[in-house]
Amino acid sequence: MTIHNLYIFSKTGTLLYYTEWNRLNKSGITKEEEAKLMYGMLFSIKSFVSKISPLDSKEGFLYYKTSKYTLHYFETPSGLKFILNTDNASQTARELLQQLYREVYLEYVIKNPLCQLNEPIQSELFKMKVDELFKKSPLFLSRSI
Amino acid sequence: MKQQIIDSKASLGTTGEADDCLFEYLHAELVNYVLSKSSSGTEGEEELSRLEWMGFSVGYRIIERLTREWSRFKDELDMIKFICTDFWSSLYHKQIDNLRTNHHGVYVLQDNAFRLLDKVGASNSKQYLKESPRLLAFTCGLLRGSLANLGIISTVTAETTTLPSCKFHVQVQKI
Repeated sequence: MTIHNLYIFSKTGTLLYYTEWNRLNKSGITKEEEAKLMYGMLFSIKSFVSKISPLDSKEGFLYYKTSKYTLHYFETPSGLKFILNTDNASQTARELLQQLYREVYLEYVIKNPLCQLNEPIQSELFKMKVDELFKKSPLFLSRSI
Repeated sequence: MKQQIIDSKASLGTTGEADDCLFEYLHAELVNYVLSKSSSGTEGEEELSRLEWMGFSVGYRIIERLTREWSRFKDELDMIKFICTDFWSSLYHKQIDNLRTNHHGVYVLQDNAFRLLDKVGASNSKQYLKESPRLLAFTCGLLRGSLANLGIISTVTAETTTLPSCKFHVQVQKI
């Protein structure tokens, strides 16, 4: 099982944080462009899901899966978006994202008075804690290739 | 650090998240507000002393309530000990980790995981070290105010070399 990369977007679509662990295929465009592309796609999927759903869905879009990887999507009521790409075997990534929000984002960004909100996260402690959380997760087993 | 985690979990059960954060958020806004008021745009002594004065008034009042059930203190050291244990744990959910004194009116109170700093920085990074004095000014005043109401006139300064630990130097003025 592998975790590939993580995006955090603000309510307005600013890329707050990006990090990657096992990403073999580069997109070939700059990080900013890639973030815009990613956000645009998620925005479209969200409205697509809510329009096309035959029933009232409480949570809306949760994840999608290709033959190679799964994209997990977690959005808070405040509009913060957490996106995690894993391989297809990782089922519990959603809980991991919730944990990331609760135990790392809330603690080390919201409670840090020196962190500007809705701007890319600079705090080194936050970066460290994110890495720590994912590396101790059972989903994180980097296959050395 | 470990102690801190246990403490915050225990308090989550009894007091709730909002109770715990309210002080931290209010303090953060207080610091921002005072600094934004500064005319020159630079972080001068004046702005920090305003924060320190706010702390002083708060400390002066708080001590009335905290010492309600207590008998009178024997001496100066007794008061400082009270500050390190009961006072600190009721405000910051932990006790002062280390207290040192030269027995001539100088006390050094060291907190290895100070609550207002432990979300800000880690020991292996120098980030935010420059900004940390503004997060400590209020607490310096708090200490000075509390001691003032107990009858000790003092000057309190803070120092940080590695976040999130900090030292408060209390210098008692002999009259």
